[in-house]
Amino acid sequence: MSGTISRIVVALDAVSENRAAIVAAVRLAAQWNAPVHGVFVEDDDLLRLAVLPFARQVTLGFGVEALDVTQAERQLRAYAERARRDLAEAARASGIEWSFEIVRDTTVGVAAAATDFLVAGISTRPIDGHFRMQCRWWSVIEPSPASFLLAREGRLRGTIVGLLQRRGPDAERLLAVAAQLAETAEARLTVIGPPELAGEEGFAAWLSQILAGHRVQVEISPTLSTPEALIRQIGELDCRLLAIAADAAPPPEQLRDLVARISCDVLVVR
Amino acid sequence: MPPVQTRPVGVVADKAAEFASGSPLPAALLNRRCRPEELPFALSSELADAPAQIGQERAADAVEFALRMRQKGYNVYALGPAGTGRHRLVDGLLKQRAATEATPPDLCYVNNFADPQKPHRLELPAGQGAGLAAAMKKLVDELRIALPAAFERDEYRARREVVDQHFKSHSEEGFGGLQQRAEAKGITLIRTPMGLALAPKRDGKVMQSEDFEALPEEERKRIQADLEAAQTELEAIMRQVPQWEREHREALRALNRDTTGFAVANLIGGMRADYGDLPDVIEYLDAVERDIKENVDDFLPQPQQMTPAEGPPGAMASEATVADMKFRRYQVNVIVDNGGRQGAPVIYEDNPTHQMLVGRVEHLARFGALITDFNLIVAGALHRANGGYLILDAERLIVGAYGWQSLKRALQSGEIRIESLEQALSMASTVTLQPEPIPIDVKVVLVGSPLLYYLLSAHDEDFVSLFKIAADFEDRVERSDAATLLYARVVATIVRREHLRAFDRDAVARVIEQAARLIGDSERLSTSLRATVELLQEADQLAADVGKEVVGAAEVQAAIDAHTRRGDRIYRRMQEEIGRKTIRIETDGEQVGQINGLSVISFGALAFGNPTRITAQVRMGRGEVVDIEREGQLGGPLHSKGVLILNGFLGGRFGQTRPLSLHASLVFEQSYGGVDGDSASAAELFALLSALSEVPIRQSFAVTGSVDQHGIIQAIGGVNEKIEGFFDVCRTAGLTGRQGVVIPASNVKHLMLRADVVAAAEAGQFRVIPMATIDQGLELLTGVPIDTINRKIAARLDDFAAKAAALARNVAGGLP
Repeated sequence: MSGTISRIVVALDAVSENRAAIVAAVRLAAQWNAPVHGVFVEDDDLLRLAVLPFARQVTLGFGVEALDVTQAERQLRAYAERARRDLAEAARASGIEWSFEIVRDTTVGVAAAATDFLVAGISTRPIDGHFRMQCRWWSVIEPSPASFLLAREGRLRGTIVGLLQRRGPDAERLLAVAAQLAETAEARLTVIGPPELAGEEGFAAWLSQILAGHRVQVEISPTLSTPEALIRQIGELDCRLLAIAADAAPPPEQLRDLVARISCDVLVVR
Repeated sequence: MPPVQTRPVGVVADKAAEFASGSPLPAALLNRRCRPEELPFALSSELADAPAQIGQERAADAVEFALRMRQKGYNVYALGPAGTGRHRLVDGLLKQRAATEATPPDLCYVNNFADPQKPHRLELPAGQGAGLAAAMKKLVDELRIALPAAFERDEYRARREVVDQHFKSHSEEGFGGLQQRAEAKGITLIRTPMGLALAPKRDGKVMQSEDFEALPEEERKRIQADLEAAQTELEAIMRQVPQWEREHREALRALNRDTTGFAVANLIGGMRADYGDLPDVIEYLDAVERDIKENVDDFLPQPQQMTPAEGPPGAMASEATVADMKFRRYQVNVIVDNGGRQGAPVIYEDNPTHQMLVGRVEHLARFGALITDFNLIVAGALHRANGGYLILDAERLIVGAYGWQSLKRALQSGEIRIESLEQALSMASTVTLQPEPIPIDVKVVLVGSPLLYYLLSAHDEDFVSLFKIAADFEDRVERSDAATLLYARVVATIVRREHLRAFDRDAVARVIEQAARLIGDSERLSTSLRATVELLQEADQLAADVGKEVVGAAEVQAAIDAHTRRGDRIYRRMQEEIGRKTIRIETDGEQVGQINGLSVISFGALAFGNPTRITAQVRMGRGEVVDIEREGQLGGPLHSKGVLILNGFLGGRFGQTRPLSLHASLVFEQSYGGVDGDSASAAELFALLSALSEVPIRQSFAVTGSVDQHGIIQAIGGVNEKIEGFFDVCRTAGLTGRQGVVIPASNVKHLMLRADVVAAAEAGQFRVIPMATIDQGLELLTGVPIDTINRKIAARLDDFAAKAAALARNVAGGLP
């Protein structure tokens, strides 16, 4: 798959965990020798709200304060500049090519091609250390043909879990990417899938063939049927990255729910 | 003519059996030899070591008394000339005593967790300090493994999850509940860059302004009311957030404390058992345990803020450095480790400055700043000597940077306070460590010169109260048979200690003779062993140069000669100029009012005799004797005193019945430097009496000796050098057998002359003649009976007096 990636697109805004996204994007760009392109999206909802006469925001430090367009735009510009600087520093340090733009229309600005790889923060920054708004990039991710990574930490430690549904091109692409990431991060790779898949004749040989050339420790574990069981299994495996083959990805609503309930990065290879 | 008082010429009471005043001394009295055949050994290696310093019983008793006195202030000042073995004797006595005493405890500094600026001291039984330091290092190493493991355990994670979930539920119930209720009313909660906001929504997005304005008024009011209500609720929730955060942090801290406490208790429990009999250590371990519980995060892996690629190289401290800095506070700084010591310490500090005595706090340069902590406290000599003895050089202490003040302060206060000189002088404005003072129990021995002792005694009250014992070292010892043999053993001891070749008994005998010469006394031996050690070393080298296995008298003599030759350049130049008649010294013939005097000049460690022509002139006057040296501000007070004594002598002998109507002047001819001492007063008197009597003095003699008002000749110093100085002049001019030196009879016992002088005397080529009185000396020097001379002087003075009286009458009568 790496051969088909033309660039890494990292989606950034004023409220998401940009740093984790930048770290992950730069790491992947370095690994695949691809440029990284940062897209800072100015929040349309925020600007609409700021126009309303009764717009207020409540902050921990200052309580209630009026919100107007000028103030909102200043804040957005400040966050955009910080994101640009962080991206530039990280890219320069890794010696990769980078670019950056600011857009206001999420769909238009971030919409990625099939040869792009999309990276975004998995949630907003917490308001009190706990409360995070859900990932706001689904409107970009779901219609896009590109593979994507939702980053929570941006670093890989522990275990990468590859979720397969069946043998086939989607699974092969996923395993190739997961093995590559695991090898680089010296992480374990645990392949999970339906019990019948793991028991299929020739599955082990197929797996070995795909992973040939990667120095990675692989385990195979059957997954359980319900989402609850899957979430529990991911926790028990100390999973840091859940890599999902395109054909194993649950429907959008279920995927959103899954992402909201687990505490690791999520990679979907399309 | 009035009667003249004279003293009888006779045998000098001193050494009466051995020589007669006025007669040349036999060669045997010119140098009291040490006869090798009387020494009971062939080689020095046969002799046992000398038991102690020679002749220093008084000093040793004083030191031993001070050692027995435990009261404050019984410190010792060992005074005496350099080279008398002060250091060796003091060191030996202290070590002997120290070996019988208890080994003092180890001294450590540890962190004061309540106030790191004021480190605590810990005392542990000797040798246990290092053990505690190692145990603390091991504890930290183990905790760095055990604590992360404890925090990685499922049990901890589960407990933490419970805590996190509990407080997360506050957020979810608060914000999530608000979000749900707002959504139900068509209001969305959005995350702004700074916080949260509520907005009406339409089709999943925030309502546009124009859409809102297009709504019916009633609808707008309803939405605004709902928004205000939700916003009020949001504010209330936000106000609770800090409290939730506090409670969450406290709950986590409590969990961490519990988790840490269990792990630490297991590890530190063993240490408590090991140090159970040391309450201070137990108290320290309690503090350590509390601190670890409060700062457990230091032991846990820190989440990385930047990947290596994100940070510039070298911008951050290495992990090892950071860890080192974090855990330094649990180290134990053993500043004094008495582990390998038997008995009390005896410490000699050769650089007794403030810092070297009381210790110092060093600093480390880290990222451009100087930092310090208790680990950088360095002990001073007082710490190392605590519980024992400290030897210091008094002169170095006084001139060393504030060493004396710091020592006095420590001894007076009874504690060692480590502070920089700036702090001690109240000149520091920066904050630095204030280590807890350490109680002091040390006996200090200062080794110094007598002069400094007397100065300190006179001008420093603290010195008197702090150094109550003076150990006064002798510079000489009586040259008895026992002392001679003991000296031979000292030589043998030095030879062994310095790993020199063995000395045969001729060589040892020559060394002993030189010891008498060094002190300038045939009946005494010098206790200053420094010069003897050097002589032995140099003789050994000369023996080595010629491949001898045993050092003989020839090598000793050669070493003495070489030593003299190295330092006699100026002396030889003066001798040469006398030979060339540039400096005028007569060694033959007769002269009125002129005599050869003798003085001593020193060049470093060497001293040489220097003949000087002294002349006198007399004329009619008012009875004064003028010292031209003093008038020219070249004469010192002792010399002036000597000249005034001459006045007394003249008055006593010739002024009883007549006025002394004379004016006399005395001068050291061709002398261009200062003159002091009274050893030339006899010579000056001879010159004066010759001038008065007009009886010439034999120039083949030189004279040394002081004189009192009664004409008694008194002993002087440097008699050997003076005789040798004139002998060298005469030898250059040619020895005639008439030449010689007249010396005080009381100096005969001091004669330890060079072998060539003794040989010349033995051959009748040179004479050393003792005199007891001025009359005896004058007869010897003039060959004229003293009564004749006295009559001539009396007649001359009568003549002066008559002329003076006539002149006075003429003046009174107005005649020209």
